[in-house]
Amino acid sequence: MTDFFQMVVSGIAVGSTYALMGLAMVIIYKTSEVPNFAQGEMALISSFFAMMLLTSFNYNIYLAFSLAFVFAAVLGCFLEFAVLRRAKEPNVLGMIVITIGIEMVILGFVSWKFGAEQKTMPFPIDPYESLFIGDLFLKKLDVLTFVSALCLMVVLFLFFRFSKLGLAMKATQQNSVAARIVGVRTNRIMMTTWGISSLVGAVAGLLISPTIMHPYMMWDPMLKGFAAAVMGGMTSLPGAVVAAYMLGIIENLFGGYISIEFKTVVAFVIIVAVLCFKPSGLFARHYVKKV
Amino acid sequence: MKKRVMLLVVVSLAFLVSLAPNLFAAEQGVTDKEIHIGQWSPQTGPAAAWGSVARGTGAYFQWINDNGGIHGRKIVYHMFDDGYNPAKTMAGVKELQEGTGIFAWACGVGTSTGLAVKDYLAQNNVPWVGPAAGSLNWVNPPQRNLFAVYPLYDGEAKALVKYAVEKMGKKKVAVAYLNDEYGKNGLRGAQEELQAHGLKTVAEVSFEAGDSDLNPHVMKLKQSDADMVLLWTTVTHAAKVVGTSKAMNFAPQFMSTSTCSDFPLMMSITKGAWEGVVCATFGELPDSDYPAIVKYKKEVFEKYAAKEERWGIFYYAGILFVEPMIEALKKVGPDLTREKFITEMEKIKGFKGLGAEVNFKPFDKNDMYSRQGASQTFIIQCLAEGKAKKLTEWMDIK
Amino acid sequence: MEPAFFRVDALSISFGGIKALEDIGFTMNKGEIFSVIGPNGAGKTTLFNCISGLYQPGKGDMVFKGRSIKHKKSDAVARMGIARTFQNIELFSHMNTMENIMLGRHIHMKTGLFKGMTMWGKSSFAGKEEILHREKVENIIDFLELQNVRDTFVGALPYGTQKLIELGRALALEPDLLLLDEPCAGMNTEEKQDMIFWIKDIQDELKISILLIEHDMKMVMDISDRVMAINFGKLITIGTPAEVQTNAQVLKAYIGEGE
Repeated sequence: MTDFFQMVVSGIAVGSTYALMGLAMVIIYKTSEVPNFAQGEMALISSFFAMMLLTSFNYNIYLAFSLAFVFAAVLGCFLEFAVLRRAKEPNVLGMIVITIGIEMVILGFVSWKFGAEQKTMPFPIDPYESLFIGDLFLKKLDVLTFVSALCLMVVLFLFFRFSKLGLAMKATQQNSVAARIVGVRTNRIMMTTWGISSLVGAVAGLLISPTIMHPYMMWDPMLKGFAAAVMGGMTSLPGAVVAAYMLGIIENLFGGYISIEFKTVVAFVIIVAVLCFKPSGLFARHYVKKV
Repeated sequence: MKKRVMLLVVVSLAFLVSLAPNLFAAEQGVTDKEIHIGQWSPQTGPAAAWGSVARGTGAYFQWINDNGGIHGRKIVYHMFDDGYNPAKTMAGVKELQEGTGIFAWACGVGTSTGLAVKDYLAQNNVPWVGPAAGSLNWVNPPQRNLFAVYPLYDGEAKALVKYAVEKMGKKKVAVAYLNDEYGKNGLRGAQEELQAHGLKTVAEVSFEAGDSDLNPHVMKLKQSDADMVLLWTTVTHAAKVVGTSKAMNFAPQFMSTSTCSDFPLMMSITKGAWEGVVCATFGELPDSDYPAIVKYKKEVFEKYAAKEERWGIFYYAGILFVEPMIEALKKVGPDLTREKFITEMEKIKGFKGLGAEVNFKPFDKNDMYSRQGASQTFIIQCLAEGKAKKLTEWMDIK
Repeated sequence: MEPAFFRVDALSISFGGIKALEDIGFTMNKGEIFSVIGPNGAGKTTLFNCISGLYQPGKGDMVFKGRSIKHKKSDAVARMGIARTFQNIELFSHMNTMENIMLGRHIHMKTGLFKGMTMWGKSSFAGKEEILHREKVENIIDFLELQNVRDTFVGALPYGTQKLIELGRALALEPDLLLLDEPCAGMNTEEKQDMIFWIKDIQDELKISILLIEHDMKMVMDISDRVMAINFGKLITIGTPAEVQTNAQVLKAYIGEGE
């Protein structure tokens, strides 16, 4: 029985990372209506930026991480302003291709500049030290990730729910012409949301980096985060989070009890199943359009 | 009319003249001044830790060229990044072989990547020396053009398991392996050796190259209550398994194949958890005073290596696996053909470079040791500062 | 002399080779209902799109309360106090009626990013703001009799109701100038009667000036203070309803249409 709880606990631990990536994707989707496939790499370059400050310039860790967050936010705003906004006649497919292009450019840049070998990120907590609750173990880093994810979720929730930004974001996504007609500064909203999303992604990246740090480190979390966002309904922030934790737990239980080879596949099978039965996602509100 | 005939004659002559080098070329990939040698390498991607092999070869070739080359010829080195992706390996090899024309291929990291091009090279009779992987597939069955220098993975696995059972008294052995040919080679070797001792594996956990959350895998290993875990995975996975096991308070004896024997790297990425891990290895230790190590470190690494490069086992593996090729090229002399090259390769006996002793024989399709040049390994253990402690001397693993 | 409430000077815009508007000019007085009529394709909606910043005109100018709005984008135009409804309805289809109308309050919401997080109870700054906006939205819902569809997704509602909601959203902006693009399209006689009353109320009680595009001649003549007729992007005439109704060119353009 302990094994079962251990698997659930491990699932929650990994789910926090998926949740952060899922949140980041949903934030952008809520305004630009495009899944941002460059999400992982934006977090990647911010993490490597922090590593560079720590190792080459010997900044102290709190300063380096803070600057990395600033870097991430600026990067997000910049990409929206300089790249996405410039697309003429954007349709969703075109925008997706643009984000994939950005992803490749950043990945290539990071591989070239920092080398593709695995690196180490200096971090105050040893990634392999753990706490023990009875027979269950929990890596200290996982606890930190969980707490960070939770805090970030609460902040984002307050931010979007009670500020006019939340409603304005929804409006921008659903009908940008109508949004502008009522005075919503849609350009500024897009830019801000890209900045916020990049920041959330950077938090995920920095928390992954102590265990594993090389140019491909964000691929798996990003894919799972995207899966979680899809499951949650692509426009629902709490939906993405719940789906992410569900995904982590199911993955771990499946790997533990059924088959470890197909552990990753099960995530995608679930998505297909969810989309078959509840196409708008588990948590999106659905209506029947009147014809 | 006369003008047109003149034009036709001039154009034909020009065409014939341009063909001349090809018409008079002695061998593909060889001119009077150049020998073209190629290598595929994971410069990016999940296996990038082994990208330094090809860079080591490059530095070595530069050193040879600066010291007179080989019988007046300089080596032109064609290295390309295949990202540990067999499809890319095939594409790159074909392009270089049919475009530039490669005389022979050196090293090349990866079992699956090498397998993708093995038959193509055999069909075109292009020599390939020193694959940087110890797979049985290179010599089972042996091929005339393919000379293996990396001791077999099967053999390494057997040596490690034997040491664990006989010298360390381990009884419950689990294997964590990458789910491809490379990993399966190790699994097979372990299973065979255990069987010879009347034992079986207590767990066999497979990993996919893209897996990043390894908690379930480590849990399975822990559940099996293994007292020795044999790792046959990528560097990244090996590090994560050892680290996560430490976090889970699971402390078996970890052992690994030579691909994870770069102790300074492993210690750094596991934040010290790699201490005590036992590995097989294919080459002399990096900080030993073995003469060839000292020589290459000084003359090749210090002069030609890039600033961020490290003198580690993967780097000089790029020298180790290609040394026999250079030896044979020198012995052939100025009249260089592939046939003569293969003949000289077969004559190599008792060659000791940076690694195990290398011996080849004339080609015999029923004898894999006509093309498996090295069959020795020795076992080392990782110490606190990333140094290695020799647990055995070179031993045969036939 | 006091600047005109809203003035358009020699406005021209072309798409490709086609001159959609050519030299359109008129002045509007504060508090009046000014109608624009013309056959389909005359350029009426194009004129509205220029005013509300969706198109950038090639030549000419538009001056609202003494300030040029020629180069302003839609959101800037809205902030100046000009609201608009669309011929083909541009609502937020995945929101309900209340939320759609609430978005009309956007430019009046002072609660920015951080103050929003401080909505602790009714008496805080953000709390009071929220109550104020809700009140205004409820008033509009009452005014337009939309109570029973208040919480329904607008995408599921009939066309006529959607048009009303769009009108409600425009009113929530508290504009000085309201652009109505065919507010009565698709309505039956009874609904049209209601709309006429509402438009009059908007003028009299809410003191909003209205620029109106409408095909129903009877309605136009009934409620307008002045009328402008255009055809093929060019101005035909401006005058009182009676004057325009009997204008020879207007009649020629309209043979067979209207009542």
